This record gives sequence, C-alpha cells and structure tokens, in this order.
Amino acid sequence: MLLSIDNIVVHYGRLAAVRGISLEVQPGEIVCIVGPNGAGKSTTLLTVGGALSPSSGTIRFEGRTIAGAEPEEIARLGLAIVPEGRHIFATLTVNENLRIGAGMRRDRHQFAQDFERVLSYFPRLAERLRFPAGRLSGGEQQMLAIGRALLTKPRLIAIDEPSLGLAPLVVDQVYEILAELRRRENLTMLIVEQSTRRAVQCADRIYVLRSGRIELAGSSSELTGGQLLERAYFGFTGA
Amino acid sequence: MLEALQYATDAVSLGSLYALSALGIGLLFGVLRLINFAHGDFISVGAYGLIVPSANAMAVMYFGALPWPAVIAVIVAVVAFLALLSEAIVFRPLRGASPATMMIGSFALSFIVQNSLLLVYGSRPKAVDLWANLSRPIAVGGVRFQQLQLVTIGVTAVLLAALVLFLRRTRFGLEMRAAAEDFCMARMLGVRANRVIAMAFALSGGLAAVVSLLYVAQSGILSVQMGVPLMLFAFISTVIGGMGSLLGAVLGGFIVGILNVVLQVMLPGELRSFRDAFLFLMVIFILLLRPSGLVPVAAMKERI
Repeated sequence: MLLSIDNIVVHYGRLAAVRGISLEVQPGEIVCIVGPNGAGKSTTLLTVGGALSPSSGTIRFEGRTIAGAEPEEIARLGLAIVPEGRHIFATLTVNENLRIGAGMRRDRHQFAQDFERVLSYFPRLAERLRFPAGRLSGGEQQMLAIGRALLTKPRLIAIDEPSLGLAPLVVDQVYEILAELRRRENLTMLIVEQSTRRAVQCADRIYVLRSGRIELAGSSSELTGGQLLERAYFGFTGA
Repeated sequence: MLEALQYATDAVSLGSLYALSALGIGLLFGVLRLINFAHGDFISVGAYGLIVPSANAMAVMYFGALPWPAVIAVIVAVVAFLALLSEAIVFRPLRGASPATMMIGSFALSFIVQNSLLLVYGSRPKAVDLWANLSRPIAVGGVRFQQLQLVTIGVTAVLLAALVLFLRRTRFGLEMRAAAEDFCMARMLGVRANRVIAMAFALSGGLAAVVSLLYVAQSGILSVQMGVPLMLFAFISTVIGGMGSLLGAVLGGFIVGILNVVLQVMLPGELRSFRDAFLFLMVIFILLLRPSGLVPVAAMKERI
C-alpha cells in the first residue's frame, strides 16, 4: 500500500470538513475522489500534504505515519501535492518555479536529465522558461504546477481539480498528459475531480465524497452504468 | 549649486540608513507577515555591543576598539544572533498566529530588549567615538563631503547589490522568494520553513547591525531608545513603498530620507522643530494617492 488514510477527521475551527474518511492508493494506480462542492475533497488532499492536521485518524505513506507531519517532511518522503488553484509562484519565472523542488533532492546530478524529460511533456513551458509564471494562461499554469510537482520526483502525485477554470479543450490536453505520464512513467496519482465523467474515464478506482464522508467506493468499471455514481454524488442514497 | 550637492548627499545618506532598516523589516514581513517592531532595538543592541557593559557614564570601547573589519564582523554576528534567538524564543511559538498577534509579540520583545539595555548600561545617553577619522570632510572637485556619508552611501549600494544577487542567484534566495509569495506551497515542495525563516532573521539582524555602526559613527551617541525613531521611519518607508515589496522598502527609505532633508532645508526656522509632522503629512498624502504603496505587491496571497 502506497497511501492509506484511515478514518481521518479534519476541522476548520469547530467545523468538521472531513468526518471520518478512509481511502487507499496502491502503487501504479490512478484513484479519483469525486464529489460536489464542500464535500471535503480539497481538505482531504491538504491534510495528506501536511498543510492541515487531522484531529483524529491516521495517514500512512509507504507504511510511515504522516498525519500531522510538516509539509516539507511529507514532500521529502515523495508525496507531491498540486493544490486547488495551482499556487504557482507568479513573480518567479517558469524556470525558477520548476527548480524549487530540486532543493530537497539528493540526486541533483539527475535533475538536469529529469528537467528535460518533464519539459518534453509540456512543450509550451519549454518555450516560456524565462517568463514570469504569472503571465502564463490558466492551462499553462496548470501544466507548470504539475511539472513542478513531477520534478520533486514523487512516488505519489495528488492533484486537486486539474480542470478547474480551464476551457474544455485545455482540460482534455491536461488529462491526455496525465494519461501519458501514467503510461510512460508508471506514475501513481490521486486526483480530485468534480466531474464524474472525467473520473470514470481516467481512474482505476473512485471514491465519492459527500459532506465529509465517503458515500461510495469502487472500481471505475463497477461504477459505470447504472445510476449508482450519480445517486451517491447527489445524495439520493435511499432511492 | 555646490550647496545643493551637499544637501543631496545628506539626503541620500540619511535615506540609505532608512532603506537598510526598511529592508530588514521588509525581509521578515515578506516571509512571515511579521512587522517586527523590535527591529529598532536590534539596531540599539548593535550599537551597545561596541562598549564595555557597565552603567558608568563614560563609555569604554570593547568590541569597538577592534580593527574595523573585526568590529563589523563581531557586531553583525551579535545582532544576527540576537535576531535568531528572538525567532526561537518569541516568534517560533507564535508561528501560524495572526499577523496582529505576531506584531504584539514584537512589541513585547522590543520592551524586553530596551529594558535589558537599561538594566545593564543605565539610562543616561553615552558618547562614543567610532571611526572618528571618517567624520573628517574630504574635497571632491571643490565640493566638501563628509567621508562618512560617502561611506554610508557606498556600503548601502554594495549591500543592495549583494542582496539582489543573493535573492536572484542562490538556491536560498530562490527559496526565500518562493516562501515570500506562497509559504505553504513552498513547503509542500520541500522548502524547509525553519531554514528560510532563520535565514530571513539572520539577514534582517545583519542589516540592523550595519545600520547601528553607520548610525553610531554619525551621531556619536548611544541611548536605550536610539533605535526607536529609526524603526518608525523605516516602518513608514515600508508602508509607502508597499508592504511586502523589497524594492518598495528601499525606495520608501530613500524617499523618507530625501523628504526629511528637503523639509529641514525648506521649512522656515520657527517651523523646523515640527519637521516630522510635515513629513508625516506628506506620507499621508502619498498614501492617499497610492493606498497600497508605490510598488504594490500584486499577489499578497493568503496561505492555503
């Protein structure tokens, strides 16, 4: 098991945004978390990344407990987070954005090679290395955020809504790149997505979140067809 | 004409001190969103570090008696150490608290440092003679300049250039800029928070130390509250420059310095004692025109 989350509860002040979520990611898998706004998807991801601490429950990454650890320690274990809204460093150049994660890598001689390889997936970034990242388009910023995370050489990359605020055509491009990354790099991914259609297309397994709880979990093939997924998403479980 | 050149030197050298102090404040604000009101007291400590600790009215040079490169090295080390110590004791426990809480913490630190100085050195101001040969004037092309002012301007120029190189060209600098823009994201990319914050405090302390030396060489007087006006003007500099922008802090520092000298020269004699009031009036005017400062920071992002 690469990542296993066991019954975590996360509070913002007194408000519980996540009320007991358990999920697992196996090496090589793509797992999607879907759910409506406010379901606790982003909170779960930020908690995995160490930006938030769970009030109870455990998170293990490669067998090591990481719940409540500092974000930089979690990053160093090989867990990269691409948070909602991308959080690129707008005043830094594209090149500088991509190089930040190199600081924690022990194999710095390998970095130049990885840099070229990552850029080969994102030719648009290669053309704009000297631009301030704030001047990139939304799609390019998303690619920069993913590329930046890849250059930390993660064993698991967790991406929050790669489609947020992007034109449908650009979303297709982003998902094509993710599919290619999986084929060529055998990358393990945990993706938060609002669209069940996208999730079914790209994921091996899906978790549906509602109001801070897991409503439904299963493999994509189990969940396609029938109304199961939609019902869980919209909360008609009694039907 | 010649007089104007001398006033210009006055203005730029005073502006240099404010710019260096404002940078020290700006560096910490950038990384931590902390407005460190103890920065002025860091400057005082650097100055008191020159003399033998005693409550006697006569100051006896201690570190100040060393050769000048050693004086600089020791005082920078002393103040940087104090800055790191205050990070560990005061600001680390407050990390994650609101900026207002951290600011109040810095007020507390300021009181503690001032009262410790009072306890050890006594309340009377003391005269010291640091690098007296620098206060001799020199003539450049018929204009007489105070050497110390030229040194102040030169040192400031070198430090600004060094800081730019550090921030642009080194990995530490890259990490500091990233952390200043989005601290949490930088950490999620493996940037060590403690390291970046310690570096910011050490740099801020180092800058405060340089200001102490230049300021004491100029004024020749030590007093427990000597850093307070410097801190006030430096803080105003960061505000008119635009909170969060280092370029703005430097620009603001020079503007405050220049306004100060211009007012001193232009105001009629009987109004001169109200110079600072006129200065603050002009600051208010600048802020009315540019509420977020001269160099507004586009992305003053909140932490995720």
